[in-house]
Amino acid sequence: MPYDPPGRADHLPDDLVGRWNGLIEAAHAAHEPALGSRFFSLEPDTGADATTVQVGWFGDPAEPGFCLDPEAAEQLSDWGVRGRHELHNEYCEYAVQMAADANGVVRPKRVQVTTELAEYWLMLATWSPPTVRELVEEVLGVRPTWQELYGPGVSDPEALDPRQRTVAFATHVAGNGGDPELAEAGVPAQPMGTLNTANALFITHPINGLDDLLYIVMFGARPYARQTPDGFQPASREEIFRAFDVEHLACRHADPAAAMAAAGAAVAGRTVAFTNPLGMYLKSFTAELFTLDGAPVPDEWVRFSRGEPDRFQRLEFGPGDDDPHFLDDVTVTLGDVEKRVRGGYQVVRQLEVGPFVTLGPESPVADDERVVLQGSDEPIRCNEARACESVKNLQTRFEEQHGATRVAPRTMARDR
Amino acid sequence: MAGTLQEGIFHSPGASPPGHCTLMFLRADPDTDAEEVGELLAELWAMYRDLTRGTVRDLPGQPIASGGLQVLIGYGPKVFDLAGARRTLPKTFAPELRFRSASPSGGGPLLSGRGLHYAPDIKQNPATEEVCVQFTADTALGVHRPAVETWKVLHDRAGSALGVAPLAISAVFTGFQRADGRSWIDFHDGISNLRSDQRSRVIEIDGETAAGDDWIIAGTYLAFLRLVVDLPRWRGLTREEQELLVGRDKLTGSPIVGRTSEGDPRPDPRCPVAGTTQVIEAGNEKFREPEVVDDPLVQVSHVHRANQNRFEDAARPNSLRIFRQGYEFFEPSPVAPGFRAGLNFVSFQDTPERLIRVLRQQDWLGDVNFGGERDRQPPGMDRLLTVRAAGIYLVPPLVAEETFPGARIFA
Repeated sequence: MPYDPPGRADHLPDDLVGRWNGLIEAAHAAHEPALGSRFFSLEPDTGADATTVQVGWFGDPAEPGFCLDPEAAEQLSDWGVRGRHELHNEYCEYAVQMAADANGVVRPKRVQVTTELAEYWLMLATWSPPTVRELVEEVLGVRPTWQELYGPGVSDPEALDPRQRTVAFATHVAGNGGDPELAEAGVPAQPMGTLNTANALFITHPINGLDDLLYIVMFGARPYARQTPDGFQPASREEIFRAFDVEHLACRHADPAAAMAAAGAAVAGRTVAFTNPLGMYLKSFTAELFTLDGAPVPDEWVRFSRGEPDRFQRLEFGPGDDDPHFLDDVTVTLGDVEKRVRGGYQVVRQLEVGPFVTLGPESPVADDERVVLQGSDEPIRCNEARACESVKNLQTRFEEQHGATRVAPRTMARDR
Repeated sequence: MAGTLQEGIFHSPGASPPGHCTLMFLRADPDTDAEEVGELLAELWAMYRDLTRGTVRDLPGQPIASGGLQVLIGYGPKVFDLAGARRTLPKTFAPELRFRSASPSGGGPLLSGRGLHYAPDIKQNPATEEVCVQFTADTALGVHRPAVETWKVLHDRAGSALGVAPLAISAVFTGFQRADGRSWIDFHDGISNLRSDQRSRVIEIDGETAAGDDWIIAGTYLAFLRLVVDLPRWRGLTREEQELLVGRDKLTGSPIVGRTSEGDPRPDPRCPVAGTTQVIEAGNEKFREPEVVDDPLVQVSHVHRANQNRFEDAARPNSLRIFRQGYEFFEPSPVAPGFRAGLNFVSFQDTPERLIRVLRQQDWLGDVNFGGERDRQPPGMDRLLTVRAAGIYLVPPLVAEETFPGARIFA
């Protein structure tokens, strides 16, 4: 069954839909030899006993939180494009739009949050430049130049061959996404242009890719078990991630959630497939925590897009250009404290994201299908993970630029 | 100085909470300091130890049945503000991970706009004190006696000094277990709980969740909500409406898995298994945690809203799994119908964030009071449950070198 465009956000001709499916099939085929099993399929079960469920996790970056502390996590995650490129690795990225107020002070105006997969946009940029140009205009409200999309020297992308368009768009808008061929072609890890750095057009962190999404679900979709005196029991997260030497993945929000959802299904003999349309979607957003002058923020400040209802891939939060307010006029009430909104981290903390998967009915799992693990069940020390080294390096660079003194959160005491 | 989890948390395989519970909240006198409070807590703790061994101080040589008394002590954030406190507030006890205060005019949201609210007559939350003590025992006397014995100590201390003890009882709440596994709304709505092999990793603070405050490793956080059920409003619903809000069949407890062509709730036909009549009977274990369902109306029922990341490793805070150990309550009331009935919601978790997010997040319990569709609530269901008291307390580990749990906070 071919997958529709993510979120069914776009009406594409069949050839582009076919190319999108080709990417999905290629990613699946690449992992099939090592991770394939009867428990994962690209064909969602359509029987009456099949169930669709959205796997979910919070959109805020987990790593700086467990490597450092919540305050540092916010500070670093909100550190513009540097924070995004290094830390936004939960299939959820954001950019804060800045604007000058009446006094000329530059302040945060609104937050753009996206979960759109880069491969989809790269495919469109490769095979249909007019389509990708229209999409950018639709999303950002401004028609981009070809140069913004494909680089300063490109006035007509149709004059390039598909490979050249891929490299050009990746260089300026998408980054290499961890693709070794693009990296070898000179595409940097993150885009050089401003379209997808000043804005959050789609996700670009190398680990936020379609390939990684298929990997982690296929990795999980096997009946991992441990032998006990009472028989087989489902293996724990620690046992699974440790057995395959990917403990670092066990500490993020996304990977353990996706893998353990698939593993839980496989243990029950259920098949796992991405629900059509395959994509990464916004699951829930607690907008009610955000207030303006003591009242809920206006409905028009919470704008979901890029998908059908329940399949949105984009959120813009904050006032429009014509509104005199700014994002830091908004208060977020958390527990017994109220804080001014300073950036996107406070927003994505209240946002869940995740893919939909369709689970087939339960079935018997044969002994030879079980992946029996014998590793340690000891807790994984996330604050000792390798990822923490790069997080701490980022913190060092932040402090070099801003000084080591932290500005206390602006809070307002509540009546007791 | 490795610590261990305090008693009073019944999470081991095969363990179940004893029949009775009392939660007592102690307020520190504004003029006292950490050292004075610590001295008094040491005395109280020694008295509690005596009670667990069947000794009442006023009755020397007259052993009593302790009723299996277990005592747990926890500390609210204000304890770290006491003059001379030797520990600082743990990072995981930040203000954003606590409940909101009641409105000075009464009521107000516990966390977010559409979720739980304080009862209109609650102007001050009585469960936000420095100290919380939980007594559990097999008998009512077993949990009432330590409360009275606490009062004796405080009374005598006040009489012997300046007339004011460093601590005073601010509130006492009692509760009991129901053998039928139902709550006051007649449903089996609270039977889904963690598997026993998952519990300790949800409950106990480890080196990671301690976030640098290593002294709280092997401790936990206790969350408490005194929730009153508005029974007249509940009885205003049809059985079908009730079942769709809860997510279970009213009689058998079978999980609702969809709706019939007429729109009525459709229970799982496999439950209860042959030879049984209710989900709490042996053989029905797999139906106590409802499976994922497709029906959007069933997905927003209470049991599904409260437990969405079923497949996630419960040890991960992202799972938002908690260990519940609630006790029902029934108390006289001067207001018709002459009583209040409800639940002492008690949960234990390694970080308050798990519970706070369950209660705050949209599509979980943050945008409804109990269950159902956010924008199509049956009349009155936005106030089915009201909060009369709420608090979160750090339960420090038992450490051999300390005279009572958390003693080094005070001296």
